[in-house]
Amino acid sequence: MSEATSAPPAGTVGSGDRHISGVAIRLDGVTKRYPGQDHPAVDDVTLEIAAGETVMFVGPSGCGKTTLLKMLNRLIEPSSGRIHLGDEDVTDQDADQLRRRIGYVIQAGGLFPHMTVATNIGMVPRMLKWDKQRIAERVDELLDLVGLDPAVYRDRYPRELSGGQQQRVGVARALAADPPVLLMDEPFGAVDPITRQRLQDELLRIQEELGKTIVFVTHDFDEAVKLGDKIVVFDVGARVVQYDTPERILAEPAEDYVADFVGAGATLKQLTLTRVGDVDLMQVTTATVGSDSAQVVAAAQAAGDGFVVVLDRRGRPISWPTVAELARTTTVPDTVDERLPVVGLRSTLNDALDTMLAASQGGVVVTSRRGGLAGVMAVETVMAAIQRTRTEVAG
Amino acid sequence: MWEYVTERADLVAFQAFQHVSLVVQCVLLGSLIGVAVAVLVYRSPKATALANGASAVGLTIPAFALLGVLLTPFGFGITPAVIAVTFYAALPVLRNAVVGLAGVDRSLVESARGIGMSRMRTLLRVELPLAWPVVLAGVRVSTQMVMGIAAIAAYVLGPGLGGFIFSGLSRLGGANAVNSTLTGTIAIVLLALVLDLLLVLAGRLTTSRGIRV
Amino acid sequence: MTAATELHPEDAPQEVPPEETARQADPSAAGDGGWRALLLQPTLLALGVAAFLVWRVTAALSETERRQLGWTVLGNSIREHLALTAAAAVIVLLIAVPLGIALTRRPLRRLSPLVIGIANTGQAAPAIGLFVLLAMWLGFGFGTTVVALVVYAALPVLRNTMVGLQGVDARLVEAGRGMGMSALSVLLRVEIPLAVPVLLAGVRTALVLLVGTATLATFIDGGGLGVLINTGITLSLDSLLISGAVLVALLALAVDWLGRVVEHVARPRGL
Repeated sequence: MSEATSAPPAGTVGSGDRHISGVAIRLDGVTKRYPGQDHPAVDDVTLEIAAGETVMFVGPSGCGKTTLLKMLNRLIEPSSGRIHLGDEDVTDQDADQLRRRIGYVIQAGGLFPHMTVATNIGMVPRMLKWDKQRIAERVDELLDLVGLDPAVYRDRYPRELSGGQQQRVGVARALAADPPVLLMDEPFGAVDPITRQRLQDELLRIQEELGKTIVFVTHDFDEAVKLGDKIVVFDVGARVVQYDTPERILAEPAEDYVADFVGAGATLKQLTLTRVGDVDLMQVTTATVGSDSAQVVAAAQAAGDGFVVVLDRRGRPISWPTVAELARTTTVPDTVDERLPVVGLRSTLNDALDTMLAASQGGVVVTSRRGGLAGVMAVETVMAAIQRTRTEVAG
Repeated sequence: MWEYVTERADLVAFQAFQHVSLVVQCVLLGSLIGVAVAVLVYRSPKATALANGASAVGLTIPAFALLGVLLTPFGFGITPAVIAVTFYAALPVLRNAVVGLAGVDRSLVESARGIGMSRMRTLLRVELPLAWPVVLAGVRVSTQMVMGIAAIAAYVLGPGLGGFIFSGLSRLGGANAVNSTLTGTIAIVLLALVLDLLLVLAGRLTTSRGIRV
Repeated sequence: MTAATELHPEDAPQEVPPEETARQADPSAAGDGGWRALLLQPTLLALGVAAFLVWRVTAALSETERRQLGWTVLGNSIREHLALTAAAAVIVLLIAVPLGIALTRRPLRRLSPLVIGIANTGQAAPAIGLFVLLAMWLGFGFGTTVVALVVYAALPVLRNTMVGLQGVDARLVEAGRGMGMSALSVLLRVEIPLAVPVLLAGVRTALVLLVGTATLATFIDGGGLGVLINTGITLSLDSLLISGAVLVALLALAVDWLGRVVEHVARPRGL
């Protein structure tokens, strides 16, 4: 990311406190016609995507959203129309050169199974003729960024990774040459819901750090609401039905079509609009692994807490024993509770509720950007939020 | 050449019949052997590996060499031809049957046993029908391969169209040498294609509609 | 001859293992098993060669037999046989692999069913017919034999090259293009490496086929170990016949084993 700050690409816009390394994308009358088909797959789309924004493409399957995405990096050549990246018209640029400047993430990462994680990530830098040392450093930096320990994962083959880990490597590979634009084609479609939620949180964190321009195709409206700064709702032929913030699309669907697509239960959809970081979190007594149990118990009792969050030596929560459980030990144990429900600050209340239900717990531990403890959220907080929106809708 | 064939229509028809008859009977016999062995071995990984190894090694033995070796105990004639052709016919069927049977979803077998079907019944009603398309693919491979091997068998005085090829070779330069060889070769190609077509048809008719692709 | 139109089930592109279960796979364990299987074949082979040598040294042979089975004559026959096989194999590789690659590229892809159809039909032709017809056309001898062998063994390599390339997950190709690799670069760095296992299996099939089919060279004066078998049959000398047959079988097994070793070594890691 050092490259990004030292040489800001064309079209970089500063917006307040957020660091932006992306560029704007402008589509001008982009059309894709396939021979032998009556209607164009993508019909005259004009769209502007601001630098550093995450824009979600949603719509029914076959509506042309993926076709449109693939025209951005010209995996599909547009029949007519212009595509601009920043101030540059890239419609007639050499496609291979163009793609090296655009990150591309697909389902299951699309990792090359015969290459190690490091080789996969280093692909684009190698094509750009970086020197070996720089590539190796970049690989480690990226693995770190996506939350994988470089020493452990650098030399593994994709099949030795779980689905979620493969997806992380896929994102790292797309970011390798620090492209201003990231295209993501249903990247989290093939992983289980809990892993998907983690990956989404991770993407939000990375995006907060990097400020890329991200175009993200999904069929999951909740995902769109959670990740998107803006959402584009498409109908057949990639007709743009509504292009707005998630809040406004939920509050004021432009057409019945959007309302249908957003679906019933819009009240509960508000849960996807509220981030865990937006509500008040409970602060609880914490204890570091190996410290004296009796002291911790005393502190918890003094604070009136029924349980304690145990942190490992890097400050990450690993378990939350009750005071009674802790009282039976002499030092705070380092056992990792695999079922500990954890969400990030950027997770939605919906995610938090899901996580609680999946773990059969009445609360979740909330972590901050780098995995440290931010607080604890109780199920009552979610309930209160539901209650509030119901009252709002009724009133 | 057309003249050559029409003049000897009876002989060509007879040899063609002999060729196909040899191939069909040997493929039937070979398939039965292949499937039977597969049924015996497919549950045990060790036996399966052994069978696959034997089948792979068997297929590396050149047909001409095997035919030659068989001459010593059995002499010239139909016996070495039948043994060699059956041997080669059995191998691809064996391998495909093992693959097919091993590929049957274990949970299906369990559910068959669960509703009270006997081992035998499970094999006949569930496993073999599900493995059938793969077995049949093996039979097709066998048939194609064995059509050519049967032609070499003519050299050890086995029956069939190979006779035309070898008589062409022995009367080299003679008036009808080329015609004779061409007749044998083309007839074998045509018959092989017809047999393959019949097997495809048989596959359509004998494969359960539920698993047809 | 033998493995002619074989449909190798093991050559089919392997399914990608379900992601979540994939991680426990321990590649070294599988590798050891592979090597153990690879060691069995040469052991059998060595036993076969030893048995032949013992027989050759101890057997009471007639004058003709001794002349035909003399070490120099045997050596020459084996060398001829290998020369036929090697020459044909090299030409097959030079023709079939590039053709298979070309037929899976977009401009020519539409032709591939046609070519495969023609090749399959050709495969139904009996090798012996092909040999004799080609000899009548091109004359007898080594060259014609090589031509006949090439015609006969090209299909497995062609087909496996195509199957291997077609078996490469289209999403990987798209991922490669999507990150800015040129079509050639995707072919060389992604498609061909991933197709290598299937491609090599085709080459091995072709090699075994060549060793076996080269015995027919004797009928058109191409030389090789078939001469021994044929002489044995015509002169009713079982010792010649069986020597030839055993040696060809051992040669085929040896070539098959070499092929397996190469496949094992060349298989890209991570698969």
